[in-house]
Amino acid sequence: MSKNLSWEALAGLAVLGAVGVAALAAPRRRAARAAPTGAQTVVVARRLNRAAGTLAACVLTDSAVEHYRGSFHNKSMYAPLASATLNLASSLHGTADPRAAAHYGRNTISAIAVVTGLIGTAFHLYNIGKRTGGFSWQNLFYAAPIGAPAALGLSGVLGAAAERVRNTPPGAAPRILGAPAGRMLAAISSIGLFGSMGEAALLHLRGAYHNPFMWAPVGLPPIAATLLAATVVAPTPRLRAVTKASLNLTALLGFLGMGFHSYGVSRGMGGWSNWGQNLLNGPPIPAPPAFTALALAGLTALELQAAHHER
Amino acid sequence: MSAEVRFPGYDVLAKHDGKSWNEATRRTLDARMSVPRQPRFFDPAQWQTLCALCDRIIPQPQGKEPVPLAAMLDARLLSGRTDGFRRATLPQQDEAWRRGLAALDTEARARHGAAFHELKTEDQEQLLHKVQGGEVSREVWGDMSSQEFFCHRVLLDIAAAYYAHPTAWNEIGFGGPASPRGYVRMDFDRRDPWEAAEAHQGEEEQARRDNQRVR
Repeated sequence: MSKNLSWEALAGLAVLGAVGVAALAAPRRRAARAAPTGAQTVVVARRLNRAAGTLAACVLTDSAVEHYRGSFHNKSMYAPLASATLNLASSLHGTADPRAAAHYGRNTISAIAVVTGLIGTAFHLYNIGKRTGGFSWQNLFYAAPIGAPAALGLSGVLGAAAERVRNTPPGAAPRILGAPAGRMLAAISSIGLFGSMGEAALLHLRGAYHNPFMWAPVGLPPIAATLLAATVVAPTPRLRAVTKASLNLTALLGFLGMGFHSYGVSRGMGGWSNWGQNLLNGPPIPAPPAFTALALAGLTALELQAAHHER
Repeated sequence: MSAEVRFPGYDVLAKHDGKSWNEATRRTLDARMSVPRQPRFFDPAQWQTLCALCDRIIPQPQGKEPVPLAAMLDARLLSGRTDGFRRATLPQQDEAWRRGLAALDTEARARHGAAFHELKTEDQEQLLHKVQGGEVSREVWGDMSSQEFFCHRVLLDIAAAYYAHPTAWNEIGFGGPASPRGYVRMDFDRRDPWEAAEAHQGEEEQARRDNQRVR
């Protein structure tokens, strides 16, 4: 496959697809009647940019480390690095941007991330499937991680959602693809949290849950994700309060996870002085904050629900 | 070893002070390489027989200092360290080696009228074939089987000594004990930057450059 599909062709495919998606689904830019700077939708959009950027940073560092380990055997393994870097820069730009109109460049970059994430998922599935034994536990554990490219796609989805929320006319309720933005984002974040939980469950199973704290990302996020999904159906203030608490804990957990994973790296033979091996072989330090990013996105969903009385 | 070099420019001793090895490996390798080149366990006659025997069992790489096989075996037997098990048909390793070398020499004198180390290469090889095949004098070897001695002491111990030496490691691209640094890229045909690079046809120079960076 690496021989047949050149890196340039893939990059071209990703960019073309992304531009197409962006053009079709671009939020119409409102030149006039911009909402006042500091409008609630802009505040929320910037928070969404922050969540998208956090996720992009996770993907960038994690794919850099893991694809370096894979010696960039297939040239397309550079693609997520490029796309995540763009998405990180775009998210930082959005986080700093106080204007109340969608940005065509940021929107396109988000779309590139979505398409790259989709292509990456196909690649990883292919990588697992082509190995001896196909979709066996062994290959699910040790071949390309099945869920990782989806994080890049999600980071693009959050970025695109931020543009749509930002583009809300004054006085209107933000909508994404025709649905109330708060519910839509709650659904997206909930799915993302379940996905990350699945990845953590699989890889922590590989690690035989040798440390009891390895159960934390399998125990807490699904509770938060289930509550978040429930707010899509019944967005009551009471449910939102409980959901908010669980999402705050999940965000904290993702942050603490980096500490646990650093400890895991230090336990490898030679510890941190043998970082060249242990960073690659030990638990991935950039992975847990994906929970933080998705929890942050979930929290903005709750804010939108509350502000626009989504019932 | 044929003239072609499989891991051009690879020197495992570049790892000596690098991140790959630990203190225990450094100590062991230093001792192994500085083993005294004179016999301490064998007497002079056995030593001469052993040196000639080693030359027949394992060819040494050209253009390099030979691996001190006899000295390494002598040091090991002197230390009293064993495999922890032995063939029931053979005595303990120190006794087996002393008796085997003496018997080999006695056979040489009986058949060719000279000590084993003084024989021509062809005569040495012919005699070793007989030892391997058990066509030897019962009075000289006593209750020790010459076949067992050849297969389970001579071949085993001399090959083990050879492949315990960094010169042999360079030949086969071995990196020494993977401690503390092991290997990360486990797939077929993948290579960690601290691993010996194998030369593929037409890419010898790339392998040489890669091997220059191995630490």
